[in-house]
Amino acid sequence: MDDLLTDFIAETRETLEALAGEIVAWEADPADKARLDAIFRFVHTVKGSCGFLDLPRLGRLSHAAEDCLAEVRSGGRTPDAALVSAVLAIIDRIGELTDALEANETLPEGEDEFLIAALAKGAAAPAAAETPAEIAKISVMPATPPTRTVSRSIRLPVELLDRMMAGVSDMVLARNELSRLLRAGGSDSQTDVAFERLSLCVGEMRDAITRTRMARIEALFSALPRMVRDLSAELGKTVRLEVDGGDVELDREMIEMIRDPLTHIVRNALDHGIEKPEKRKAAGKPEIGRLRIGARQSANQILIEVSDDGRGIDAERVVRKAISAGVVTSEQAAGMNWSRKLDLIFEPGLSTAEQVTGISGRGVGMDVVRANIERIGGTVDIESTPGQGLRLSLRVPLTLTIIPALTVSSKGTLFAIPRSAIDELVRPKGDQVRIERIGGEQVVFIRGKRLPVVDLGRFMGLTEEPQSGLLVVLRAGGGERYALGVEAVHDHEELVVKPAAPALMASGIYAGTTLPDNSRPMLLLDVAGIAAAANVGRDQEAIEEAPVEKKKTAKAALPTLLFRDLDGVVRGVRLSLVERIEDVATDSVVETGGVQMLPLQGRLTRLHSVSALPASPRLRVLRLSDGHNMLAYAIDQVADVVDVRAELAPAPVAGPIAGVVLHDGTPIELLDPFWLFTRAVTTPSNDDSPLCLVADADDPWAREVLAPLLGAAGYRVAFAGESNDERVSVIVTTVAPVPEGVDAPVVRLRGTPDQTGDESIYRYDRDGLLKALRRHVAGGK
Amino acid sequence: MGLYLIARIDQEIVALPATEIGSVVEVDQIAAVPRVPAHVAGLFALRSRVLTVIDTRASLELGAIDRDSDMTAVIVEHEGHSYALLVDEVEDVIEASQPEPCPALLPASWRRAAKGTIRHGEEAILLIDPAIVVAGPEPLAA
Repeated sequence: MDDLLTDFIAETRETLEALAGEIVAWEADPADKARLDAIFRFVHTVKGSCGFLDLPRLGRLSHAAEDCLAEVRSGGRTPDAALVSAVLAIIDRIGELTDALEANETLPEGEDEFLIAALAKGAAAPAAAETPAEIAKISVMPATPPTRTVSRSIRLPVELLDRMMAGVSDMVLARNELSRLLRAGGSDSQTDVAFERLSLCVGEMRDAITRTRMARIEALFSALPRMVRDLSAELGKTVRLEVDGGDVELDREMIEMIRDPLTHIVRNALDHGIEKPEKRKAAGKPEIGRLRIGARQSANQILIEVSDDGRGIDAERVVRKAISAGVVTSEQAAGMNWSRKLDLIFEPGLSTAEQVTGISGRGVGMDVVRANIERIGGTVDIESTPGQGLRLSLRVPLTLTIIPALTVSSKGTLFAIPRSAIDELVRPKGDQVRIERIGGEQVVFIRGKRLPVVDLGRFMGLTEEPQSGLLVVLRAGGGERYALGVEAVHDHEELVVKPAAPALMASGIYAGTTLPDNSRPMLLLDVAGIAAAANVGRDQEAIEEAPVEKKKTAKAALPTLLFRDLDGVVRGVRLSLVERIEDVATDSVVETGGVQMLPLQGRLTRLHSVSALPASPRLRVLRLSDGHNMLAYAIDQVADVVDVRAELAPAPVAGPIAGVVLHDGTPIELLDPFWLFTRAVTTPSNDDSPLCLVADADDPWAREVLAPLLGAAGYRVAFAGESNDERVSVIVTTVAPVPEGVDAPVVRLRGTPDQTGDESIYRYDRDGLLKALRRHVAGGK
Repeated sequence: MGLYLIARIDQEIVALPATEIGSVVEVDQIAAVPRVPAHVAGLFALRSRVLTVIDTRASLELGAIDRDSDMTAVIVEHEGHSYALLVDEVEDVIEASQPEPCPALLPASWRRAAKGTIRHGEEAILLIDPAIVVAGPEPLAA
């Protein structure tokens, strides 16, 4: 039989038993308000449940009784003996129907009408009321007593289940102890067989008790159709709800933990997601909105997806809100991709709803949703296509207390990591996975992606030296990933996890305690907490995504790699540009046409050095990358990684040095990645590219700085008097006169940043220059 | 009248209300817990329960209990969690009358944890609140 129906029967029967006394008391004193309320609540509950369960007969009966009692409660009717009898007859009838439901029998339907009619005002002379009720009773009473099947469903307090669970855990530990003793004592085969049987029983018992905690997720979904119906009516929207996967089983307590977040998500979808019919029509969508809720089990997790075809969430709007609310800075936001921006919806105090409504309140909540789900070891992912819809995926472990986990150790101390947070396990080896140290910090490159490394042993203060023999790649709550370096990985286990004492939880890095079969207590790590405590997080990834810009003045703290250059000077380079630091064989450097090249990843890469390469056989180089292009920069050694906040004092001439910043009172030269890259990169232009004619053919600046810049921006470059190509798109000049006979717009550059009133552009104003070029090229066509 | 457990923490003989105590156990293996306050000595398994071990000396800012030898712990429940309070020695269980207020001059480390004194013969014994011991030293003012 359906779980829900069983629950309903058990509940109704239980209440009926409790109500028996009330009914008698009410009969004795129909004016008793408290008794009346108790009976009213009962019929009301039955009526509510019947709606979900599709039990029209019970529904009709309870509805009639409820109406009648409501009238009495509001004082519209005084209860007399006839009314009491009629109500009691209906309650009896509910009991009989419930029994019949369980026994899977049907009762003749006709009598229901008599019972309902008996409730009617005035119609109920005592004798008249009694007669139909009596008839009804007699007619449903078979010759043999009703075959009331003994209920096979009972309700139990959760504490009792917990005690059983603890008892079984104790038993498992005792069995393990016994097993050790038997092994040590060299037992005989008879004892072994008996022990084996005991083990088997204990194992089965553990499984059975675990199962007692499980229930079908239907219990969670059953309330949704009504809620969606009521809400959409209230909001003036039409919504079709599709529910799928109600038979998935989940820990009972877990179901309760998910109830609120799920309700919140559904409310949001109806209130903010799905549009009103007219708007949908205007957007070319079917007028009826669609809301899908589905559950399925995948491995050790339950995946609950809620998707709608409403307006979705516009990540850009979320970002604007986040910036104005001070959750992120605009610099941080600039480095974020769509999904990271969307993730901001989970930050506290953010709601994109411009209007506050009664349905989903002030929109506080997505942060609470995520917090609730994460507290039970789950994750929330969001996908949105503006105008098309929104999909939220909740992933939760199968049970609240039993979490599949990986045990790892550093320096002999064991920890457990929830498997739901683990992306992969990698061993730093070869080219695909490589650990490098930048300053004192480790980073790992896994198939080209850089992740921060948190060394477990060092983080926990167990050792000074990193022990990262193995890396566990973890996904913290916000989507950021990092690698946890551990000494050893031991086992995949299903662990019974209990909350740890407040003093431990306050550290923010533990999610609970667990007692594995070896009876050594172990801590379950809080993956997101460790990310926060170790300071890996949004910033780190933002760096990875930050676009390369030229000579950006460093107002925000910019992580900068300091190194000793070949000429002994300490210089700095933006950390985000450094892909890795590596040692290469000095004799692998080839020199062609005054340019040093180094074979890296099968390609010849431009190697830049400030002075002659050292005579040592190995050469240390920084591999710099702007996301597309690569170059190598020879150094002596890495000094440190620091946050540089000071303003950059630009260098007087363009060159490998962008300028000087003050760090801790020491001036440090910063490399100009723009300058370096423009020389390292072969111009990606072709014959169709717009031709830019540079008038200053004799100016070394124009040749050394301007031409590479133009080339890198995709222009073909020619110098005045050196080219007879007539398809000149634009002419650039600083001091030289515009060549005669060439019909093209002119962009003038000036040598100083001060405004001069004419339309000239400061020659280091790269953006301004490129903009002007684009404008002229586009306008000339 | 009430029952009190008499124990020694550092050099001081103290009393703990017996009603709040589950049992007294020998503690051998403590699983260390990194990055937690110093008075949390670690975790200890008592059958299937995981107890949080509290070093009472550290809690009262009197150094630390010697962890090499066998240790004695008093088991208490506090806000749904079980704790093992490491003490230097458990001496006795006595019956005594209602506690009296503390003497005015108490060392700072004891002042917070002491709830009063009980009389045992000629001696006055400090009565300790297990909840304060569990909570540990007050965090330094920020």
